Formats: sequence, structure tokens, C-alpha cells
Amino acid sequence: MATTAPALTPAASGYRSGLYEWLTTTDHKKIGILYVVNSFIFFFLGGLLALGVRTELAQPGLQFLADENLYNELFTMHGTVMIFLFIIPMLVGFGNYVVPLQVGAPDMAFPRINALSFWMLPLAGTLLFLGFATGGAAAAGWTSYSPLAQDRPLGSVGPGQDLWIVGLILVGTSSILGSINFLVTIFKMRAPGMTLFRMPILVWTVLVTSVLVLMATPVLTSALVMLFIDRNYGGSFFDPANGGNAVLWQNVFWFYSHPAVYIMVLPAMGMISEILPVFSRKPLFGYKAFVFATAGIGALGFSVWAHHMFTTGSVYLPFFSLMTFLIAVPTGVKMFNWIFTLFRGKLTFSTPLLFALGFLSMFLIGGINGAFSAAVPVDFALHDTYWVVAHLHYVLFGGSVFGVFAGVYFWFPKMTGRMLGEGLGKVQFVLMFIGFNLTFFPMHALGLSGMPRRIADYASDAGWNELNLAATVGGFLIAASILPFLWNVFVSLRSGKPAGDDPWEGNTLEWATSSPPPPYNFDHLPEIRSERPVFDLRHGRAGSGH
Amino acid sequence: MHPLRHPRNALVIGVLFVVIAVIYWAVPYFGGWHLDYAGVTMLAALGIAMALMAYVLIAGSPSE
Amino acid sequence: MTSDSQALTTTEHSPVAGFAHDASGGISNPILGMLLFITSEVMFFAGLFAAYFASRAAVAPWPPTEFEHTLEAFGPVFPATIMLVISSVTCQIGVNAIRRDDRAGFIRAIGITLVLGIMFLLIQVFDYGLLYSEGLTVAAGPYGTTYYTLTGFHGAHVFGGVIMLGVVLYRGMAGQFSSRHHDAVEATSIYWHFVDVVWIGLYTTLYWLR
Repeated sequence: MATTAPALTPAASGYRSGLYEWLTTTDHKKIGILYVVNSFIFFFLGGLLALGVRTELAQPGLQFLADENLYNELFTMHGTVMIFLFIIPMLVGFGNYVVPLQVGAPDMAFPRINALSFWMLPLAGTLLFLGFATGGAAAAGWTSYSPLAQDRPLGSVGPGQDLWIVGLILVGTSSILGSINFLVTIFKMRAPGMTLFRMPILVWTVLVTSVLVLMATPVLTSALVMLFIDRNYGGSFFDPANGGNAVLWQNVFWFYSHPAVYIMVLPAMGMISEILPVFSRKPLFGYKAFVFATAGIGALGFSVWAHHMFTTGSVYLPFFSLMTFLIAVPTGVKMFNWIFTLFRGKLTFSTPLLFALGFLSMFLIGGINGAFSAAVPVDFALHDTYWVVAHLHYVLFGGSVFGVFAGVYFWFPKMTGRMLGEGLGKVQFVLMFIGFNLTFFPMHALGLSGMPRRIADYASDAGWNELNLAATVGGFLIAASILPFLWNVFVSLRSGKPAGDDPWEGNTLEWATSSPPPPYNFDHLPEIRSERPVFDLRHGRAGSGH
Repeated sequence: MHPLRHPRNALVIGVLFVVIAVIYWAVPYFGGWHLDYAGVTMLAALGIAMALMAYVLIAGSPSE
Repeated sequence: MTSDSQALTTTEHSPVAGFAHDASGGISNPILGMLLFITSEVMFFAGLFAAYFASRAAVAPWPPTEFEHTLEAFGPVFPATIMLVISSVTCQIGVNAIRRDDRAGFIRAIGITLVLGIMFLLIQVFDYGLLYSEGLTVAAGPYGTTYYTLTGFHGAHVFGGVIMLGVVLYRGMAGQFSSRHHDAVEATSIYWHFVDVVWIGLYTTLYWLR
């Protein structure tokens, strides 16, 4: 396997990379990169929206926003954009790039549908943001409860909420098509010798995530459609003033949105599970246990949705509380898998490992504060307070986003043929880690002392002033940490160290081809006798031997 | 054939969710609490959909 | 179970006997994709049915008194149901025909299926007109909203299926299908059967269970 020259010269592979190619490509690698870049753009937009929120909350009193409704638009769009246009597609993008390579396939099962899935996203994002230009974006929270989502009592000026509905239906369709693509690829296109239990863990997590997307997202689509009918055709699904039931929306919405949180984290866990073994020079501890734990999380994830609705009075509380506690078990199993992978390993503290360690520690905190909320009496006090904001950001930012950056530093060399700078990477990690904790750790205390979510302003004698100011400083620190990252990407693309096929001494098949790979992925595949075929190739013996 | 390869065993995952749906219906029904028809419907449908999906994925996989 | 790489159409040993499968012995990719798509559609209708059952449990009486006799099981929907069920039979006849390389039989059967599908839609539209004149509209409380949403989205799926049948018919007449290559026919027929099954569920729930 020849090492490649700096891989950005198209002539090296004879493969055009002009604008037309990027716009019309059906190559999973290019589509994966499109997903990642598009998702980062929405990450920055969603981050700006968050900075708007934090700037207003830094001090008591309404300083910057003309009215509270604009504040409602800011946090609604922040949540919506981060969930549907950043984290979910970002993980799909990594899956798109890496999964066909890791199973030894030349592309995804349905390349044209793959392209369609991607291009629906910028369209959906445009529709969502168009609300700002047409009288007001959606402002009922990303959870869009009725009757507020029915424009009662606060009437919305423009079609923002309807644009939100249509935009999300597009995103949902894109996701569902993508999940079908992943499932057919994984089940039908694995290289010879790769049984299900020799697949890389990332492929397993993408598999389970795709099942969740396939099953849960259509339920969201149905809820959105019903809301649209309520808002525009005089329907009576959720509008109490019309004979409808507001809790019904919550039920159908959360039946999707709870599995959605696993959709948002499982692929990141998969990425961590690829990175930790490489940087500990040890196989993942307990491969099979990890697979079953992932499947368990996927299955249990469907039976906990009403823990978001404990305070409605319409929920069978013991069932959901029990199921929610149960889900901590497989998650805990995975924690032990990761920790015992590191234990007695030969650790190399490169940036991917730093972000992976950040993931482990921050996700642990998010899991612990979530376990508190699983207890119904505790949730009765903490529901809709900043405690929940702390929890969701510890698992989604501390978890998924750190996982994403670990993946970026790990696979950037494969995608571009260049290494990202380690110095700038470490600067980003430190700034982001400190900024993240400064922003969200105080929110535990804020929640416990009763600060509600989604308020634009608070009383100056509530005792929340200092913690809010700290959180705002932390938010700007997170924003600052993006700058070394962007500089790193810019510089490395032009003159980063050439990566070669396998800069990290990786385990899985993507490291058995050039960086970046040729359009058809592999000239030839090594023999597959375990979940670490490239490790086996390098060391001349079977790895885990199953 | 390995148990995970036999298509009929794939139906187990669907049965699991139907069982959860039945529990979710039965306990409030016999205990006198509020019955969530929406949740029961969605869980039961999930059982059907999961069974179908698991069956076609396992039965449709190439034999090696 | 080993697959015979030369037997591209043999079905005896496949656990999914009947589905066209590829050389490695699994279900072919497009057909597997369609089957998975259908599972997602099951969940879409699950959300709509969930709203129906929740509304039905929360509103008494159900049906509301003013609509007690509006939805008649033996009204226009009855012949429509018969037609849709027969169309599933004719669709399967078409699939079996092309599996045997009987192209003329395949075209005939798909053509009849298409006509029956269009008839179903026309009757549905006619029925909607009747119901509207009786006061059952989308805005007529939960009863009306759930009725039109469920049947409307089903009708939209029938419409999609009619388009697919039309394309399949056209391609069949252009000679693009054979016993070895007719994935689009298999996929379309699977989708059409699904649409029929959903209708049986809807008809039973809306007109019989009430």
C-alpha cells in the first residue's frame, strides 16, 4: 500500500474535485464531508443564538433585547438548530464517511438517495431561519408545546412556526432515508469475513442509531403534521380551545424525542470506542457486552419518554421512573468498558484522546444528574429549571460535542491526507473544557435554587446574578475556543503534516487505504478475522479471535 | 444456524415491545390509573414495526 | 443454507421465498430498502392512530351525537374497500407473472391494479364531498380532524402508490422487466400491499370499531 503524496491535488487520483463535483457527488466520502461542513456551519449559527441568550441573561434586567418574544425565538432556534441541523447530521456525516470504509464496502447502498438526504438539510435550515425574516422565527421552544404552538396566548406575527414545522419534516425525511441507507449497507455490503460480531463498534452504534431513527422519526413527522393541521385547518388534535388535548402533543412528541437523545449520542459513543483502543494500544474491553449494552439502550430508550412529562398529571409515574433508572445500567456497562480499555493501556495523549477523556468525564456528570431527575419527587422540584439545562448540556455538549471533536481530530487525516496541529488542538481542548464547565456547572446550583428555564429575565434579588454572569463568561470562552480550531483547520488544509495511510496505527479498515481514499475505497482488503483487521495485518496474528 | 441468524428469532424483538405495550395497558387498566391510549398504540405499533424490520434484515442478509 | 451463485431466481431455499434476491442469497438492496421504508411508514401511521385513540378516549360521546350515523360501513367506502383488496390480489398476480417471465400477463394485471387504485381514490374524493355536505369537516372537532387526517394521509399514500404503479406499467410496456430483473415491480407491490393493509386497519377502526 503506497503512501500518498499530499492528497489535495486532484491529479493524484485523477478524480475531479471542482464545485460541480461537490454539488453533484454521490460518493459517500464527499457527502460525509458535506454533512460535516454543513453541520459545523449550523453549530456556529446555533452558538451565536446561544450567545444571544447568555448575553441577555448575564445580568438581571432586559438589556439587549427589545422584547421577550425575541428571546423566545433565540432559545427556540438555538435548541432546534443544535439538535436537528448540527448534532444529528454531524454524526450522520461521520457515519457516512466512515461506515462504508469500516465494513469494506465501495460506497453506501443507495448513493443517490444519500445525496438527496444531504441536500434536504441546507434547504430545511434555510426554511427554519426564514422565520427571522418573515415576522418572527418559531418561538414556542424546540419542544413546541400547545397551546403556545397554536399561537395562543402569544400570537406569532409571521409564518415562523409553520416554517419550523415544514423544515423539521424535511429534516426528518432526510434522516429516515439515511437510516435505511445505513441499515442496508451494514447488513448487505460487509466485506467477506466480517460477521456481525467482527464489525467495528462505530458500525454497531450507527446500526442501533439507524433503527432508532427509522422507528422514532416518523412519529415526530406525524406529530408535526397534526400540529400543522391544527394551526392551519382548524384541527382539534392539541388545541384545548378546540376540543383537543395538549398533553397528547407531549406524548407523541416525546415518543420521538426521547429516542432522539440516543440518536444524538450513540454514534459519538461509537467514535470514542474507536479512539480509546487506538490511543491505549489495547482492544476495547468487553466488545460483546458493549454491543448488547448499546442494543439495550436502544430498546429501553423507547419506553422512557414520559419522564419528560412527570408533572403533567397524566403519566403512569412508577413505570417511567423504573424504566429510566434501568437505562442507567447498560450506560454504566459502557462506562466500565471504556475505563477498563484505558486501564493499564499505553496511553498517548494526542488531541483525539483528550477529547475522548473529556467525553468520559463530562458524560459521567450528565448521567449522574440525569439519574437524580429519574426520581419522580426530585423531578417534581427540578422540572423546567436550569438543572435540566445543565443535564442536557452535559450529555449533549460534554458528551456528543466532545465526541465529535475527538472524531474530527481522529479522522481529519484520513479525509484530507493532512494532520491537524496538535498544539492548536490542545489549546482548543483546554479552552473548550474550561469554558464548557464554567457555563454549565453553575446551572446545577441555579436549578436547585429554583431558576426556571426559558425566562428572559430574573429578579435581581433572587441570588442568581453571579452564577448567570459566570455562565455567560463561560459561553464566550467556548466561542473563543472555536477560533484556534478554525485556524487549525485552515492552516492544516494548506500545509499540515502529510498523514499517510495510517498515522495513528489504527485498528479498522479505513486505515488500510490511502488518505484520502480513492473513489472506490479499496485496492484490496486485508483478511478479516476479528474486529481489528488492520491491527491483525500489522502484527501478523488474529486479534481478539472471534 | 446461529440463533442470531435464524429469521424467526428476529421476531423476539417485536414481541418484547408488544409485551411492554400490554404491561403499559394492563397495569393502569386493572389498577385504576389513567390509561395512556396514545402510548399503548405507539408501543404496540413499535412491536410490529420492529418485528418486521428485524425479520427482513436477518432473512435478507447474505448467507456466508 | 448456501446460495447457488448461478441460481439468480431460484426461491426454494431462501427463507424469504418469493422475494427477488441477489447472487449472495439475501434480499436485493432496493427491495430491502422498500421493506425498511414500510416499517417507518408503520410508525408514521402509529402516531396518527395514537392521536385517534387518545381523542376517542377523551371525548364522550364518540361518535359525537351530530355525527352518529355519518360514517357508514356500507356506504361508498364499502365498494372502495372491496376494490382495494382485489387490487392487492391483482398486483400479486402481476408479480407472479413477471417472475415467470409472462410479460403480457404482468402488464394486464398491473394495469387492472392501477385502474382499481384510481377508482379507490375517486370514490374517496366523492365520499369526502358527501361527508362535507353532512357537516363532517376537518374543523369539526376531534372526530372530524382525526377522520380526515387518517384517511387523507392514507389517500396520499394510495396516490403515491398509483404513481409507482404507473411508472412500473410504463416500464413494463417498454420491455424493461424480465424474470431476472424486476426489483421495481417487487418493491412497488410490497408498498401496495402495505397501503391495503393500512386501509383494512383504518376501515375497521373508523367504521366498525367507531
